[in-house]
Amino acid sequence: MAIAKAERLMNLALCLMNTRRPVSKRELRESIEAYHEIGSDDAFNRMFERDKDDLRELGLIIETVESVDGDVGYLARRDRNRLPEIALDAEEAAALSLAAKVWQQARLAEAASGALQKLRAAGVPFEDTHSALEPRIPTPEPAFEPLMVATRERRAVSFDYRKANAVRPEPRQVEPWALECWRGHWYLAGWDRDRGAVRVFRLSRISGKVRSRGGAFSAPVPDHVDVRAAVASWAGEGATATARIRLRRDSGYPLRAKAVTSEPVDAEWDELEIPYGHGLDAWLVEFGPDVVVLEPAELRADVVDRLRAVAKD
Amino acid sequence: MANAIDQTRRMLSLVTYLRERPGARVTDVARAFGVTEAELIGDLNVLPLCGTSFRGGDLLDIDTDGERIWWHNVDDVAQPLRLAADEATALLVAARAVANLPGLRDSDRQALLRATAKLETAAGEVAAASSQLSVTFESEGSVFADVDRAIAERRRLWIRYYSPARDALTEREVDPIRLFAVGHTYFEGWCRLSEDRRTFRLDRVAEIKLLDEPSDPPRIEPRDLSLGLVQPAGDDPEVVIEVGPGGRWVAEYYPYDSADELPDGGLRISLRTPDPGSLRRLALRLGRDGRIVSPADLADRAREAAVLALAAYGE
Repeated sequence: MAIAKAERLMNLALCLMNTRRPVSKRELRESIEAYHEIGSDDAFNRMFERDKDDLRELGLIIETVESVDGDVGYLARRDRNRLPEIALDAEEAAALSLAAKVWQQARLAEAASGALQKLRAAGVPFEDTHSALEPRIPTPEPAFEPLMVATRERRAVSFDYRKANAVRPEPRQVEPWALECWRGHWYLAGWDRDRGAVRVFRLSRISGKVRSRGGAFSAPVPDHVDVRAAVASWAGEGATATARIRLRRDSGYPLRAKAVTSEPVDAEWDELEIPYGHGLDAWLVEFGPDVVVLEPAELRADVVDRLRAVAKD
Repeated sequence: MANAIDQTRRMLSLVTYLRERPGARVTDVARAFGVTEAELIGDLNVLPLCGTSFRGGDLLDIDTDGERIWWHNVDDVAQPLRLAADEATALLVAARAVANLPGLRDSDRQALLRATAKLETAAGEVAAASSQLSVTFESEGSVFADVDRAIAERRRLWIRYYSPARDALTEREVDPIRLFAVGHTYFEGWCRLSEDRRTFRLDRVAEIKLLDEPSDPPRIEPRDLSLGLVQPAGDDPEVVIEVGPGGRWVAEYYPYDSADELPDGGLRISLRTPDPGSLRRLALRLGRDGRIVSPADLADRAREAAVLALAAYGE
């Protein structure tokens, strides 16, 4: 039976951490039993490279050292791989272990619990605490993981993206800067190479695979990208104008909550002044015959237009 | 079979942990590492096969009788390991998100901010990547604080709550059980009006009061949030909606059974809901971007509402 991968990785990690001088690939192949089973040099080389990458993903810094006679050796220095002293009190530890549970995305959920294991091993006093508060980060789309890695490695990505209302997706090339989750949805902000401008993309509108391009991009990444401002403007927030509507008594609570003014007209109707931004027409028609738009005329026409579409379906 | 990378990560921490705790109990260690005892025993079966050289015989001499764990040749290979980029990102992004949750108790917020600062220092250079991810939980701070207090003090709540399906406010008394956030923030509680478990979205709470009566919810299994917030039952009526490209967002907001591409760039979406009437709003909102295919009476109701609404404009 083949030796389990975890055993092989563990042995490689221990060998690399336990040496004070760089050890060669040949020495490692001799010391680690799992590598004996590999017949060809090619297969061994491929496995060894993959194993090193896996250990680096776990945080291990593995140095590659070339000696004067050209031999390549590897080692993971203890001082560079040690977690610095960290002292958390019980309250801080409890707060952190609550936060560690928020991820539902597999890779980050495992990473969060792996981080707690390292901290616990280093002596941080985590207790099993029950909390009545359970924040959860919504599970992101499959595009999330490749985008997260590309953002970290500063690699440009390409993907097919379908804009709202677009009949089909279009290819995009983007230098990814930041990922942000807001109101339960994930967004990517970055530099759109074809458009030569900053763009915000909603991950749920990315179709198919995210491909990352070789080589890191060198253009500077701004410290802060206002993803929320871009999304809020799609959602019609930050409206500057107002609209006047009639609303049937006791209905439309969310409209009332946003109203600037509200006055009764008669036994049945109230008149409200509400903020008017992009998307208001779609929202108002949801209330059907309980809302009548008074002005502006343009909003009135949009609402009538939408109602006609439903009426003649 | 557990992921080999995660198992390696755990075993590396395990040796550090065991070094300080000779004779540690299997049950305690399993709990501390968040694994089952069987998984832990699996790790303990692998560790004696690991060492710096299987030829040199310097393997880890770790063994267990199923109850306690001993490590006979403890050495200093077992130092606490630095955090990986993924690990630092996962913890720091989460800690910042929770610390910014409106309504969070100030003592919790302060503890989290202190922990975050310490963690940033300990993580060193890998902490930087965490600034590329951010998460905001939406919450109504004052409602959140009231619900949190009610849970802590075991008190009943009175709320005026908005139901979008009926476009109406209802008053009810609720025994709150827990607060959770998935994009929006919600609380789950035992509703004394419906004598059933209910989930309330905080931004739909129009008014809230803490009552003096003690909260006394029946013991119920908490819902598994990983299954999604809306969990339609198999016998809920099916609704079929066809949308054009401009209505594709429906698939992002409503959990559905199937969504098939249509030739015009739209979708044919099939979903189940306990209360199809609530979709009248959706049908009105979609306008020319989509229509309800079935049930027919739902489509009729949306049409009637539109006709009635148009009458007010003289049409």
